[in-house]
Amino acid sequence: MAEAAIRISKEKKSIFMDTVKEILPDKGNLNLCLTCGLCSSGCPATGLENMDPRKFLRMAALGLDDEITMHPWVWLCTMCERCLYACPMKINIPRLVYEARKLWPREKRPKGILGSCDMALRNMSCSAMGTPEEDFRFVVNDLLEEVRANQPGWENLQAPIDKQGAHFFLSQNSREPVTEPEEMVPLWKILHLAGADWTYSCTGWGGENYCMFLADDENWKKIAETTLQAARDLECRYYLNTECGHATYSVWMGQKRYGIKADDIEIVPIVRYYAKWIREGKLKVSSDWNKDRKIIFTTQDPCQQIRKSFGDPLADDLRFVIKSCVGEENFVDVYPNKSNNYCCGGGGGFLQSGYTEQRLKYGKMKFDQVMATRAKYVAVPCHNCHAQIHELSGHFEGEFHVIHLWTLIALSLGVLAENERAYLGPDLQEVNLPN
Amino acid sequence: MSKDKIGSVMVVGGGIGGIQSALDLANAGFLVHLVEKSPAIGGIMSALDKTFPTNDCSMCILSPKLVEVGMHKNIHLLTLSEVESLEGEAGNFKVTVREHPRYIDVTKCIACGKCAEKCPRKVEDEYNQGLSRRKAVHVPYPQAVPLKYAIDKDHCIYFEKGKCRACEKFCPADAIDFDQKEKIYMLEVGSVIVAPGFRCYNPSGTDRYGYGRLPNVVTSMEFERILSASGPFEGHLVRPSDHKKPDKIAWLQCIGSRDIREDSHGYCSGVCCMYAIKEALVAKEHAGGKLDTAIFFMDMRTHGKGFEQTYNRAKDKEGVRFIRSRVHTIEPASDTGDLSVMYVTEDGQMITETFDMVVLSVGLEISDEIKALADKLGIETDSDRFALAGGFAPVATSKPGVYVCGAFAGPKDIPQSVMEASAASAAAAALLSSVRNTLTTEKTYPSEIPVLGEKPRIGVFVCHCGTNIGGIVDVPSVKEYAATLPNVVFAADNLFTCSQDTQEIIRQKIRENHLNRVIVAACTPRTHEPLFRETIQEAGLNPYLFEFANIRDQNSWVHQQEPEAATRKAKDLIRMAAAKASLLEAIEPLKIEVNPNALVIGGGVAGMSAALNLADQGFKTFLIERESQLGGNALHIRQTWNGHNVGAFVGELKKSVESHKNIEVLSGTEIAAIDGFVGNFTSTVQTGDVRREIQHGAVILATGGRASEPDEYLYGKSSRVMKWHELDYLFEKEPDKLEKATGVAFIQCVGSREPDHPYCSKVCCTASVQSAIRLKEKKPYLRVYILYRDMRTFGQREELYRKAREMGVIFIRYSVNEKPMVEKDGEDGLLITVRDHVLGRQIRIPADYLNLATAILPTEGQKQIAQMLKVPINDEGFYLEAHIKLRPVDFSTDGVFVCGLCHYPKPIEEAIAQAQAAAARTAGLLMKKTIDIEPIVSVVDEKKCIGCGLCELSCSFSAIRLKKVVGKGYRAENYSALCKGCGVCAAACPQHAIDMKHFREVQIRAAIHAGCTECADPVREAA
Repeated sequence: MAEAAIRISKEKKSIFMDTVKEILPDKGNLNLCLTCGLCSSGCPATGLENMDPRKFLRMAALGLDDEITMHPWVWLCTMCERCLYACPMKINIPRLVYEARKLWPREKRPKGILGSCDMALRNMSCSAMGTPEEDFRFVVNDLLEEVRANQPGWENLQAPIDKQGAHFFLSQNSREPVTEPEEMVPLWKILHLAGADWTYSCTGWGGENYCMFLADDENWKKIAETTLQAARDLECRYYLNTECGHATYSVWMGQKRYGIKADDIEIVPIVRYYAKWIREGKLKVSSDWNKDRKIIFTTQDPCQQIRKSFGDPLADDLRFVIKSCVGEENFVDVYPNKSNNYCCGGGGGFLQSGYTEQRLKYGKMKFDQVMATRAKYVAVPCHNCHAQIHELSGHFEGEFHVIHLWTLIALSLGVLAENERAYLGPDLQEVNLPN
Repeated sequence: MSKDKIGSVMVVGGGIGGIQSALDLANAGFLVHLVEKSPAIGGIMSALDKTFPTNDCSMCILSPKLVEVGMHKNIHLLTLSEVESLEGEAGNFKVTVREHPRYIDVTKCIACGKCAEKCPRKVEDEYNQGLSRRKAVHVPYPQAVPLKYAIDKDHCIYFEKGKCRACEKFCPADAIDFDQKEKIYMLEVGSVIVAPGFRCYNPSGTDRYGYGRLPNVVTSMEFERILSASGPFEGHLVRPSDHKKPDKIAWLQCIGSRDIREDSHGYCSGVCCMYAIKEALVAKEHAGGKLDTAIFFMDMRTHGKGFEQTYNRAKDKEGVRFIRSRVHTIEPASDTGDLSVMYVTEDGQMITETFDMVVLSVGLEISDEIKALADKLGIETDSDRFALAGGFAPVATSKPGVYVCGAFAGPKDIPQSVMEASAASAAAAALLSSVRNTLTTEKTYPSEIPVLGEKPRIGVFVCHCGTNIGGIVDVPSVKEYAATLPNVVFAADNLFTCSQDTQEIIRQKIRENHLNRVIVAACTPRTHEPLFRETIQEAGLNPYLFEFANIRDQNSWVHQQEPEAATRKAKDLIRMAAAKASLLEAIEPLKIEVNPNALVIGGGVAGMSAALNLADQGFKTFLIERESQLGGNALHIRQTWNGHNVGAFVGELKKSVESHKNIEVLSGTEIAAIDGFVGNFTSTVQTGDVRREIQHGAVILATGGRASEPDEYLYGKSSRVMKWHELDYLFEKEPDKLEKATGVAFIQCVGSREPDHPYCSKVCCTASVQSAIRLKEKKPYLRVYILYRDMRTFGQREELYRKAREMGVIFIRYSVNEKPMVEKDGEDGLLITVRDHVLGRQIRIPADYLNLATAILPTEGQKQIAQMLKVPINDEGFYLEAHIKLRPVDFSTDGVFVCGLCHYPKPIEEAIAQAQAAAARTAGLLMKKTIDIEPIVSVVDEKKCIGCGLCELSCSFSAIRLKKVVGKGYRAENYSALCKGCGVCAAACPQHAIDMKHFREVQIRAAIHAGCTECADPVREAA
C-alpha cells in the first residue's frame, strides 16, 4: 500500500480539526491523543473503508483535510461514543465525525438521511415520513375505535391527542402509525393499566430527528424545538418518546446543545417508567407463561439512551423490566453490556444511509454477541436497534426474533391481542392470549 | 536551640522505605520509633514474588533487613499503631501515637500457630490479595517481624458474639489477652520521616476490565501472590477459576494510570512496565518455557538502570510478546473461563486473541488513609495526593523537620525509594547532628565461649525457604541425614530459617545442646551469612564458627526438574559443610580506626549535595572538581521537570558549599592516586603543578556524565542541527531566529537504546517535551515535532507530555529500524522524513531547526578512578553498585559510595536524593571511631616462608609485602586491612606458607574429601 507521502507545508494554515476544537468544551481534547488504539480496538467500524477512529483523528490532527473531506467512513461511524466512553484522554472523536459529516455538501449527504430530514421539515408534524398532523389524528382515532369495538375489555381505552395539562407528553415514532398502526396499541394498553395521564400532540407528534444524523444543526434544533414546544404548549410535565433511542436523545441532547428553553419540562426515557410502574405494582406483569417454556431473552442497550444519556441506571431498569416479564433465569445478558455495550450498527443514520454491506459487516459483532447468549428473543427499546438486529438475524441466519418492550410487557400482562404479535415467533403466537 | 533538640526520629510506615530510614538512623546514632499500622513491617515489598530487573526473590533480600530492624537495640517498633497528631517544630516534636490492641501478649507469644489452627473463623487473607483465606487470629506472613500473632477484632467471633475464645483455650503460652486496650503514647522526637507508601489502584470500578466479574482477570499484585511460593497456590502458576495451568497470559498496562477519566490517574505509575516484564519472565520460568505471554502497552517505560536490557532480553531472547495497543474491553471467550482480547495492531488490523488469564497492571495511588495522615502531620500534598517535596530538596516536605520518602512522594520503584529513605535519614541526621548518640545504646554481645580444644558439637538447621527448597528437596530426609553425620549433635528443619523467631530458636538450641559450630543449609551466604553469624554471636559463639551450605541458589533452583538428585546433592553439600565446620576456628575481630574526613570526587550537583550534607552532619569534607568552577552539567540546565529554576539553585548551592567551614573545595584539581582502604584512604590530588595528599575515611564518587556527540542527522554538518540545550541557548541569544522559524523538530534516543549504548538515558524525553512547551509558550503557532521511540515521561512527568500535546506539539513515533531522514532543504532549512506510526505513511516535515537528545555517557576518566579504588563498572561504563535494589549507593568495596550521573543517567532531584543517600551511608561509617572489618584474611607462616616474593607480585591489593628480616633476608608480611581474602597469595606460594583464615587448606581439603564419599577420613588424614 504505497500511499503518497504527506507533505507538511511551511505556511501556517487553519485546519479542519482546529475549527472543531473551537466549538467544543476543552477543545474536545482532540489534541490529547496518545495514539494508543483503545478507541479502535473497541469500535465495530474499525477497518470499514480502511479507516478507524484513531486513524481518522490522526489524519485530522496532521491536517489531511483533503482526504477527510467526503470520506465515506463518517457515515459508517454511528457516533455511538463507545470510543469516548473508554478513551483515557476523553477525546470526543464522535463529535469530530459529526463535524466531518458537515464537510459534505448538504445535497451530497446520503439520500436516505437527507430525505427523512427534509420530509420532517415539510410540516409541523416533525414526522420523518412527512405524515401531516391531521392524518396522524385520523390514524390514531380510527385505530382506537377499532380496538374499543373489537377487543373485549378495552371499551374505555384512551389515546388522547392534544390533551391540555396531561402529565406525560408522548411523541410517536412514525413507523407505527404509517406502516403498522396496530403496534401502537400495546403501549396504549400499558399506559392505560399504569393509570398514566398522557397525551399525543398533532403538532410535533413525530419523534424522529434525521436532521441530527445529517449533521444539520439548524434543523436538528428546529425539530427538537417544535416537538418540545408542543409539549410545553400542552403544559405537560414530562416528555416521553415511544421506544426510540435517537428520538429521545435528539430532544434530550438538542435541548442542552442549543439551549432550548425547557425549565418546566423534563425529557425522560419511557423504560424508566415501565420499571417504575412494575415496581409500584401498577403493571402486574407475570413471567409464569415462560416458566416451563424457558425461552431465553436478551437485550440491547441503545447507545442513545444508555451510554450517551441516561447511563447504567437505565440499563438496570431495562433488565429489570425484561426479567420481570420473562423470569430472571430466562434472561441471559450479552457481554459487554450496559454503557459498554456494542452499537448494533443501526444508529447514526446508518440504516438510512445506503451503505448496506458495510452496515451488515459492522453488525456482525452484535450478531455474534447475541448468538453467544443462545437467546431466541432480543427485547430492545429502540427502533433503529430493532430494525438493524432484526435484519442481522435474517442476514446471518440467527433465527432469533427482535421485539419491542411494549410487546413483551403486554404479553406478560396477558393483554397482547393476536394481531399485535407481528414480531413474535410462531412459538409465542398463541401464548397468554387475552380471554 | 540545639540544647532543645532531641536525638530521636519517628519513622511512619514500615515498608522498605521506612525500614531503610530506620536502619540508617539507628546505625548513625539516633533512637528511632518506627510506627506501622499493620501487625508487621515489610509493606508491599514483602508480598512481591521477585524484584526487577535482577529477579531476586523479594522476601529473601528483604528478610535480613526485617530481622535487623527486629533485633536493633535503637529501633523501637510500634506495630498496629497510627500517628494521631504532631506538635512542635523541627528538632523538637511531640507526636501522639495510638496503638491498637493486638489481644496477644507479645512477650509471651511463641508464634507456634496453635491459635490460628484452632480459630474457627476464616476471612479473606489481605496478604494474598484475597485469593486465599486466613484465620481471624493470624500473622500476616511467615517471615513477619515481629513474628507475633494478632487477633483481627473485626472478624473475631468472640468480639462479635461474646463467646468462642478457642485461641485462649489452646494457647500453650498463655499469650491471649482479650482485655488489652488501646494505648496512647506521647513521644518526643527531633524529626519525622513519613514513608506510608502507596495503595494499588482498584480496577473494579471500571466495567471494561471485567475485574471482579471474570475470575481470571487478576491484578498484578494478585499475580505476584500467585507466583509466590508463600502465595495462595504455593507457587504453582494456576488461574483462579479452575486452577488450570495457563498456556497464555496477557498483561494490560496503564490500568488506572495515564488516564484522565475521573476513576483513574493522569500520571504514569512508573513501575508497571518493568514489573509486567518481570512477571512475564518469572511466569515463563514457572511454566517451563511453554507459556505464551503478551504485554499490551503504549510506551515501554524501561528507563531505569538495567531495565532496557531486561526489556530486550524479554523481547528478543525469552519470547515475551510486546503488543503496542491499549485494549478497550476484556470479554469472556466462552463459558470455560477463557478471556477474549480484541485489539488493533499498529497498522490498524483488528485481532482477537484468547487468553487463559489477563493480568491488569494496576498503578500506584495514595489512599484516603494516607491523605488523612498527611493532614494530621500538616504536610501539603499535590493534586495527585502525593506529598509536595522541595524542588531541590527531594525529601523535604512543606513542614521543616518532617521528611518524606518512597512512593508517597511520587510513584517510584524500590531502589529509588531506598535512596530516598537514606536521603531522608541524612536530612534528619543533619538537623540533629548535635544530639547524635544522646539517646542510643550500644549493642553488646555475651562473652565468647572458648572452643579451642573442645570436641566439635555441630548443629544443623535445614531451611525449606517456603517452597524454594522444600518444594524440590526432601528437607525432612535431609535433616534426618544431617543428624547422622560425624560431630553433628543436633539437626532441625525450618520453614524460613531467616525469620526472627528462628533466630531465637537457633540461640536456644545452641545453649541447650552446647553447640560450638552451627551450619545453616539454605539460600546463599551472599545475602544471609551476616545474619546467622550475628545470631550465633548473640548466643556466645565466635561468628566464624558458622558454616553455610548453599542448597537453594546452587541446588534447588538449578535442579528443579530433578528433585531426587537435588535431595542427594543437598545431603552432599551438608556433609561437606559438616566436615569443614568440624575444623572451623574462632577468629579474632579485626578493628581499624576510621579517619572522620570524607572525600567527594566531582563538584556537580550530586557531589556538592553530598558534601554539603556531610559537612552539615559535622564531617570535614574535601570536594574535588576537575573544572575551574563547581556546578557540572547543572550549569546548562534551565529548570527541573516540575519547573524549578536550576540556575538559581546551583548558585545558592555553590555559595553554601564554598562558604561552609567543614568543606574544602579543590577546583581545577584531578585525582592522581588513591591508596588505602575503608577508614584510611590517602589520595594524591593535583592542582596545576601542585600535588597534595589528603587523608580521609571514605570516598563518594560523583564524577558525573556527559552528552554524546552524534554522527548522524547532519549534526556537525548543518548549523541548524543541535543537541540538548543548544537550541534553547540559540533562541535566547538570538530571539529573531525563533521569530522567523516556522517549524522545529526534536529527535529522541540519538545514540541511546542502540547497540553501543543499549540503555535509556532517562531524562531526554522530559527535557525535549519541556523545551517544546517553552517554544509553544513563546510562539504558539510554531510547528513543533517530537520524533520518539517510546515516550518516557515517567511518573508525574506525564503531565508535561499531556500539556505538550494539548499545546499542539505533534509526536511521531519512529522505529529504530527505520530512523528519520534529515536533509538540507535549500539554503535555509531542513527536511525531515519519517514514517507516521498511525498512518504508516511517510511524512515530510520542513523544519528550521532540529534538536537531538543524545545519549548520556559516563565522563572520561571514570574508568581510571574505578581502577584506583577497585570498584566495578558495568558494560556501559557506569559504576556498578553493591546491589541494584537494596544497596543503590554502596559498593561492595567498603568505604566507597556513589551518586549522580556516574551511576546512571538521572534527573537532578534524583541525583540530589542519591547524593544525600550516599552522604547518609558515609556518615554512618565516619561517625564510628573504629570499625570491624572482615577478618577472613591471609596469614603467613614465617617459618615456611622463603621470601621469594611471588605473593607480593600476585596481590592486586598490596596487602602482602616483603619485609627485611635480619639474618633471614626477606619474609612476607600481611597488611590485613587491605586484604580482601581472595586467596591468590596462598595459591601462588610455592612453600604452602600462606593460608587463608576460615578457608584453610585443611578445611577445604576436608570439605572436598567429604564430597567424595569414597575418600578416606579427611580429618584423620589431615591430622
